[in-house]
Parts: sequence; structure tokens; C-alpha cells
Amino acid sequence: MATTQADSSLTGEQRAIRDVVREFAVEEIRPTARSADETETFPEEVWDGLAELDLTGLTVPEEYGGFDADRTTYSIVNEEVAYGQLAVATALSVHCLATECIAAFGTDEQKERWLPDMAHGRPVGMFALSEPQAGSNPAQMETTAIRDGDEYVVNGDKQWITNGQRGEVCILFAKTDPDDPSSVTQFLVPKDAGIEVGQKEKKLGLRASDTTGLKFDDVRIPAENRLTEEGKGLSAAFTILTGGRVGIASQAVGLAQSALDEAREYAHEREQFDKPISSIQSIRHKFADMATQVHASRLMVREAARQEDAGEDNRVSAAMAKYHASEAAVDVSNEAVQIHGGYGYVTEFDVERLYRDSKITTIYEGTSEIQKEIIARGVLDG
Amino acid sequence: MMKILVTVKEVAEVEDDFEIDGLGIDEAYLEYDLNEWDDYAVEEAVQIAEAGDDVEVVSVTIGPERSEETIRMALAKGADRAIRVWDDAFESVDLLDVAAKTRLLAAVVEKEDPDLVLTGVQAADDGFGATGVSVADEVGFEWAAVVNELDLDADGGVANVRRELEGGVEELTEVDLPAVLTIQTGINEPRYASLRGIRQAQRKEIAPMSLDDLGFDASALDSPIALTGMSEPESESDATLFEGDAEETAAQLAEVLREKGVGAQ
Ligand SMILES: Cc1cc2nc3c(=O)[nH]c(=O)nc-3n(C[C@H](O)[C@H](O)[C@H](O)COP(=O)(O)OP(=O)(O)OC[C@H]3O[C@@H](n4cnc5c(N)ncnc54)[C@H](O)[C@@H]3O)c2cc1C
Repeated sequence: MATTQADSSLTGEQRAIRDVVREFAVEEIRPTARSADETETFPEEVWDGLAELDLTGLTVPEEYGGFDADRTTYSIVNEEVAYGQLAVATALSVHCLATECIAAFGTDEQKERWLPDMAHGRPVGMFALSEPQAGSNPAQMETTAIRDGDEYVVNGDKQWITNGQRGEVCILFAKTDPDDPSSVTQFLVPKDAGIEVGQKEKKLGLRASDTTGLKFDDVRIPAENRLTEEGKGLSAAFTILTGGRVGIASQAVGLAQSALDEAREYAHEREQFDKPISSIQSIRHKFADMATQVHASRLMVREAARQEDAGEDNRVSAAMAKYHASEAAVDVSNEAVQIHGGYGYVTEFDVERLYRDSKITTIYEGTSEIQKEIIARGVLDG
Repeated sequence: MMKILVTVKEVAEVEDDFEIDGLGIDEAYLEYDLNEWDDYAVEEAVQIAEAGDDVEVVSVTIGPERSEETIRMALAKGADRAIRVWDDAFESVDLLDVAAKTRLLAAVVEKEDPDLVLTGVQAADDGFGATGVSVADEVGFEWAAVVNELDLDADGGVANVRRELEGGVEELTEVDLPAVLTIQTGINEPRYASLRGIRQAQRKEIAPMSLDDLGFDASALDSPIALTGMSEPESESDATLFEGDAEETAAQLAEVLREKGVGAQ
């Protein structure tokens, strides 16, 4: 397809990064996807490959051995990794959230201790905000971290934690006062401080990603592991998550693009009524809709990223991009299955997995309903 | 100090479905990428540089401005600097033949004075497969073609190479430096450029060189070879379907293989 506005406005460096990550995604990530999904195992060798490309240090400052990518580059990388396999992109973006929190809120000592190793891929990071009873409204959380001398004592349960099994460094949100919803604070808790990992969730899609609960039962951490001031945890989370949303939206674009590409190849090959199905008008119209959706999503994502890079407030545009791109990913992969007919319904064809994987993008890091809430606030109350 | 010159070329890759338009393929069906063989040559040079103390890797290409993106990929993988030979005069040339490439690259070799020149065995698009050896001849270097293993003894001034010959035969040769080696795919595993490599490559030098810089005028591009036609060969598919259980189909397959001479002494 012809180069789009979204691509021609990239710098030479960004284009080269896109090309290399795309090649890595097709050659190294995609081939592991089917078996990783089937066996529910994370492809660790792919993670090591990401580290060699410097992708695990994407959001780590250069002085700590990272790449310190701008948001546009971050977006491109997320799109291309997800073009290979969404579960890998999700794991990477959560690892990046964790390194971003340490970089933004940690002391020099904490940065020195964790960031160089995390930039090189391990330890893997986790971001523990959600709880069994607190999802869309994290302020409802029940996990507490109570000060006791030079330590905090953590108790509670976190739910849906990506990299729950493979992760070693947990960015934890907890209340320092059980009765004060505004006391949410951000901490760094190493897994070996005593976090118990729950069963891996059995999921519809994203099955190669290890999503688990985390149990904190009198886990003691030194007071210097507190990342934000007491009560500043939630606003810190929301700032970091705005960037994260651009990442998830980008992943949705990558997934949708791969579904579109698979469908296009299939439609050219598959013949019915003595001609390729790609010559049937109703199929052609599906492609017109799918390509338009992917294109619009990509432009929205790149614009949200551009705004952040320009220092503009992108909360609304990031929410729009996340909302639109994730719903489009579900629609496009749905149509890709439809274009494959019965073959789209079996695991032998990648679109089956893409369809299952796509759904999570409308749920995590803020559901579509929550994105609309943010957008409406910007439109009506802003 | 040792210097390795790697020749690289941006090649056109054709999409599965394409249309021929006169003497060429319509631009709409072309994508440009680093020649596959050159990727192995770059990797080999970078590995030598990483193993050695003071090795400079310089890549050289003949190509239009567009090819800078491709040549930067070689810089991102670890080449130190690059040279791009181009001139307005190239725009009116349909076919840059081996003799012309040899003249230009030999002039670069003479300017740079490298200890080792690595080229790809061939370019994936025009496929002459002769440039490396021809350059060696022009500058009077030793040479070895289709190298699939290289063990460099820089102090001894020798490259121990393994060459792939027809019919699965392999040959071990010692080549005195300075030398030109044409590199076969599979000699190593080319790396992916890292993000940091890509960032550094944006700041590395790609020096432009015109015909004049190399001491030539436009006549250096003249060629006795003219492109007269381009067509897609007729292809026919000839599939044999074996039917029956495993034993029967295996027997039928064995029969076919015997007929074709596989396994014959
Ligand atoms: C595979 C996976 C990985 C995840 N990874 C992580 C992770 O690494 N870290 C982490 O902290 N969390 C993670 N999550 C959690 C995820 O962010 C939450 O599931 C999500 O925020 C929704 O919360 P909930 O599941 O509690 O749903 P609820 O909040 O209970 O929502 C239920 C429904 O109500 C709607 N709803 C709720 N409130 C409103 C409202 N105000 N207006 C309109 N509609 C509303 C929602 O949109 C939804 O449709 C992950 C989840 C999954 C499934």
C-alpha cells in the first residue's frame, strides 16, 4: 500500500526502528504465536530477542542504559510488536510501565538499583493496580501499606496482574490509611519480599501472557521503597497510564493490521464460483471498511503520541485513540474471520487467535466505557 | 589498524503479483531493501571488528539518495562510516554493467586502501554475480568467491576461507591480504540492528562521491551491453499426486526419485 501521512511524517530514525521491529515481529515473534497460545506459555526466547534490540529499555533513561524513546517511537514499537503477537506486546508494555514509574518517581538509588538490569530485559516488571473488587474505580482498592518504623507492611490482593509469574519487580498501589480513599500510594515491591503468586488465569485470548493474582500477607518493605508521597499514588498512576493508553491503542492497530493482511492474502487465494473471493463486491466492501478503520486508528494514535511529544495535554486524544483503535481491532479481526469462512474458525489460521486476542484491548488499561467517560469530560466539562 | 571495505547494494524486490512495463517493472510493485548477501558481508565485517582491537568497517554503495536509508541499516549494525557514489549522470543510464561498477568501486578501493574487501556473492536484482571478483582483478588483490567460512589471521596477513563449490564440494583456501572475498549467505547469522545502533547510525557519516571525485567523467558509465527486453517466463505446474497408504505412496515416491537419478551411484 502507498505510504501514508502517518508514515511520511516519521523521522529517519523512527522509520528504521519501524522496519527493524516489523522484521523481527514477522521473523521471530509471529512464528511462536500459535504454540504460545495453545500451551499458554510465554515465549521467553522472544523476550531475550527484544532485549537484544534494546526494546526492554524503551522507556528507561539513557543514563541508566535505556533508549528513552519519545512517545511516537514507543507507539511504533508497540504497533509492530503486536503485529507479531499481542501477548508479547502486552508483556513489554507493562514492563515499560514499571520502568517508567521507577524512572519518574524513584530516587537515584532506586533507579541505579533496578533500571540498568530491567533495560537489559530482566528482572521483568509488573504494574499492580487492579483488585478483585476495584477495576474501573481503583480508588475503591482495599490493599493497605501501613507504616511501621522504617518499613511498610503490605496486606491485600491484586488481580489480573500481567507478568504475574515471570515478573520480579512489582509497582504496587496501596492505601496507607485503610479508611482514607485518597491515601493511595505507589511502592516498589520485589517479588522475593514475599509476594505470593496466584493461579494463572485461563483466558479467551492473550493466552501466552501470564495473568495472575498477587497476594500480600504481611509483606514488609523498607520505607525507601515508597515511590510517591503518601496519597500521590493515583494521580501518578493516571499520568503513566495516559502514555500507556497510547501504547495499548498502538497494539490494537498492529493486531488489526495483521488481521487485515491475513485476510487480504486469503481473499486473493480462496476461489469460489470460479473466481477469487477478493473479486466479490461484498468482500471488497469489507476490505474498504477494514482498511479505513485501521488507517483512522493509526492516525489517531500517532496524533495522541505527537501531542505528548510536543508537550501538549493528550488525555482526551489518548482516550479517543484507545477507544477507537481497540473497538476497530475487534471489528477488523471479526471481519477477517468472516472472510476466512469456516477456515477462520479453526486454530490452523491465525485470524482465529487474532479475533480472540483483540477483545482484551477494549478492556484493560481502562475499558471503552471509561475512555468514553474521559472523552465526554473533555468535551463537556473541559 | 585494519580496514575492511564492504560493498553494499540496495536491491529492488518484486511483489508476488507484478507487471512489466517496457524494460522494467512498474515502481508500484517494487520494494527496496539491503541485498541479502551484503547483509552477511556486513555481519562478517562487524564480527571481525568486534573481535579485533582496531578495525574500521567502511561500507560503500553505488546508489541514489533513496539508498541512504538502506545503507544506514549497515551503519546501525556496526559499520563505522559509509560512502555513497552517485552523480546526475547515473540518471540517464539504464543498465550499470559490471565493468562500470568495477571502475567505480576499484577507484574507491584505491582511495580507501583497505586490507580486506567483502562483497556479496551476487545482487538479488540484477544478478551479475561478477562485481567482487572483477574489482579484485582491477586492483590486483587476491580473491576468493562464494566464501562460507572465514578465519582471518590479520597478523599473518592471511584469510583462511572455505568455499562452496557445485555439488556439495567444499574447498579450503588460504588467501593473502589484501584480498576481495565474495560472501555467501549462511556464513553467519546477521543480527537485527538494535535501537541504539539505529540512533548512532543517524549521526554516522555517509560521504557522497561523484564521478569527478573518483577521477571519471560520464563516459565511465558507458556500456556495450544494452537491455533489450524483459519478460516473465511461462511457468507450468507439474504436480504428481500419490494415492494409497503410506507404504504404497512411499514406493511410488521412491520410483520417481530413482527415475530422476536421486541416489544413483
Ligand atoms: C488479561 C488482563 C490483563 C490485565 N493486566 C493488568 C495489569 O497488569 N495490571 C492491572 O492493574 N490491571 C490489569 N488488568 C485489569 C484491567 O485493567 C481491568 O480488568 C479493567 O480495568 C476493568 O476492571 P474490572 O475488570 O474490574 O471491570 P469493572 O470495573 O467491574 O467493569 C465492569 C463493566 O462495567 C463498566 N463500568 C464500570 N464503571 C463504569 C463507569 N463509571 N461508567 C461506565 N461503565 C463503567 C466497565 O466498562 C465494564 O464494562 C488486566 C486485565 C486483564 C483481563
